[in-house]
Amino acid sequence: MASAVYYDDVDLGDELPSMERQVSDYEVVEFLNIARIGEAKENRFTSAEAAKSEGLPEAIVPGAMNIAIMSTLITSWSPTVTLRKLDVVFRGMVLHNRPIKLTGLITDKDIVDGSPQLECDVVMENEEGTPLVIGKATVELPVRE
Amino acid sequence: MTTDDPDLKYDRSLLGVDHDIGTYDVTKEMIISFARSTGETGVQYLDEEAAKNTVYGGLVAPPTFCNMFVNGVSRPDIKLEFGNVGLFAGQSIENLTPARPGDTLSAKTRLKEVYAKTGRSGKMVFAVWETQFTNQGGDTVALVQESFVRRNRSTR
Repeated sequence: MASAVYYDDVDLGDELPSMERQVSDYEVVEFLNIARIGEAKENRFTSAEAAKSEGLPEAIVPGAMNIAIMSTLITSWSPTVTLRKLDVVFRGMVLHNRPIKLTGLITDKDIVDGSPQLECDVVMENEEGTPLVIGKATVELPVRE
Repeated sequence: MTTDDPDLKYDRSLLGVDHDIGTYDVTKEMIISFARSTGETGVQYLDEEAAKNTVYGGLVAPPTFCNMFVNGVSRPDIKLEFGNVGLFAGQSIENLTPARPGDTLSAKTRLKEVYAKTGRSGKMVFAVWETQFTNQGGDTVALVQESFVRRNRSTR
């Protein structure tokens, strides 16, 4: 289990613990079925054939799922950390069953309206190191007493 | 450079006007499936019993949970008279109150701003929509912003 992280412990330029994973076909289907986004029919998110018919190389991971996966970089960092805001731009397609790496870097640290906050640059990249999703996260964490 | 271009032609009457897009019942199963499929490991998202011993006092939805409801939402046409290519530019989500099992979330979307930006490839016009999710107690759970850009396709 991740350990507690406090505002006092981190500084500008610190890197967040990176994560590597793949997104399976099953995980995409489970995600789509939650809000019935793509239930019961083949589409670019669930079928390589459907994706190829739209000019895509393979089935892709939905944008809403990519943001959720990006947020795990913060939520897995420490139980004391709260993700307040995540702002992302999509740069490339995230494909099923391919390694992706999540990284983060602290770019600002300040007390905002009494709340200890960090700004972090966050990136999801593929195995070639190409950024697929980039963004900024605003994070709250406690001060040591 | 970003400008609030008075010459931009679009339906300004839509600015700031709320449009209901629906209500969503949050269940324990939805939260756990969302967390499991996206790789969350925190017990506050995955384990109802263990979550009782966290600062949340029970199961809560992961931070980007509301974002999945904005997918495919139908919005009014802003009648923008610019560009011939439309692209999805980006998205942000701000979390204000955790969503919990049993919550009923109401969602309203509004045109937040329309602005022009000029870069190396020429002028682009961005339309930003904000969707607000509110729980049954009237607390804002999340604000989701989506940016769409229109530009002219290069003829070269």
